[in-house]
Amino acid sequence: MDAFLRTWLEWPSVAAFISAHSWVWPLCETFHFFGIILLIGGVGMFDLRVLGMARGLQPETLKRFIPGGVYGFTLCVVTGVIFVTGMRANVPMSPYDVIRTDVWLQLKLLFIAFAGLNLLAFYATGMSRAVDALRPGEDAPGLAKVIAGASLFLWLGVIYFGRLIPEALG
Amino acid sequence: MWELLEAIENTGFATWVREAPTVLAYSTVLAFHTFGMAFLVGLSGMIALRALGFARALPLAPMGKFFPLIFVGFWVNAATGIVLTMLAARSLFSNPDFYVKLAAIAGAIVSLRMLRAGLFGHDAPPDTGPVPLKTRIVAVSMLVFWAVAVTAGRFTAYSPYVRKQSALAVLIAAFLMLLGRHVAARLFGRASLSASAEHRAERPALQRG
Repeated sequence: MDAFLRTWLEWPSVAAFISAHSWVWPLCETFHFFGIILLIGGVGMFDLRVLGMARGLQPETLKRFIPGGVYGFTLCVVTGVIFVTGMRANVPMSPYDVIRTDVWLQLKLLFIAFAGLNLLAFYATGMSRAVDALRPGEDAPGLAKVIAGASLFLWLGVIYFGRLIPEALG
Repeated sequence: MWELLEAIENTGFATWVREAPTVLAYSTVLAFHTFGMAFLVGLSGMIALRALGFARALPLAPMGKFFPLIFVGFWVNAATGIVLTMLAARSLFSNPDFYVKLAAIAGAIVSLRMLRAGLFGHDAPPDTGPVPLKTRIVAVSMLVFWAVAVTAGRFTAYSPYVRKQSALAVLIAAFLMLLGRHVAARLFGRASLSASAEHRAERPALQRG
C-alpha cells in the first residue's frame, strides 16, 4: 500500500511540466484564488442568507449562484491536484511524504471532507427543503443555521490551513 | 526614503511577524488577507454578476445588505496588507507589480462605490428590472480590476520575466474558459450556464408576477 501510494501520487510528468514552464505554478495559484473567491461568493452568500443576513432574498433564488461556487471549488481541486502531484518541482519531497507529514495539508483535506459531510447533512436532515420553502423575510430553522454556520467555518478553515501548508515544508 | 523603508522592516513588530516560529504570526496574517479577499471580492463580485444579468430573479435591494460585510473584508485587508507590506517594504516598493496591484485595488474600490450608488442609491433600478448600461459597465470594470489585483498579488514573488509569461498564461486561460462557457451555453442552453438563456427563461415568470 505504501509503495503503491508513493508511486501513484507522484506524477513526474506534472512536475517536469511545471519545471519546464515557469508560468504553470503562478497560473495555477491565480486560478486557485479565483476559485476561492467564487466558492465564498456563491456558497458563502447562500450560507449568510440562511444565517439571517439579507433576509429579503429568497434562498431558493440565491441558489442560482451555487453552480458558480461549485465551479470555483472545481478550479481549486484541479489546481490543488497539480500543486500536490507536481510538488517535486518546488520541494525535494515526494507528494506521498508531504501528505503523510504535513499536518496542515492533512487538516485541510479533513476540513474539505467535513464540508462534504455537512452538505450531506443539509439534505439528509430535510433542512434543504425547509430552506427552499422560505419566503423573503422569513427566518431559517435553527438546524439550518447551524449547518450554514458550519459551512462557513469549515470553508474558512480550509483556506486557513491551505495558507499554513508551506509552514510544515520547512 | 530607502532608509525609512529599511527601518520599517526592522521594527520589532515587523521582525516578530516575519520570523516568529509560530503559525500565528506570518501565516495567520496571510490567511486573514485571504479571508478578507474572499468576502470583499466574492460578495461584491456576485452583486456585479447580478447587475450583469445573472440570477435576474434575485431582487436587487436586499443584496445591498451584504455591504457591511464587504467593507469588513476591505478593512481586514487594508490592515493585514499594511502589516504584510511592512515585512518586505523595500522589495515591494521597488516592484512595479506591487504598484499595479495597488492601482487595480484603487480602481476596483472606485468602481465598487459607483456600483453601490448605481444599484442602491437614489435612482436605483426596480428590483427585477433592467440595470442601466452605465451601471453594467461599472460592474464589468470592477470585475476586471479585481481580477488584475488578485493576479498581481499572486505575482509579486516572481521575477519580471516569469510574471510576463504568467500574465499571458492567465489571460489565455481566462479567455479559453469564458469561450468554453459560451460554447457550452450554446450547446446545452442551460439556464444556469448563460445569463441570456436565463433571461429568456425568466421572462414568462416576470409577466405572471
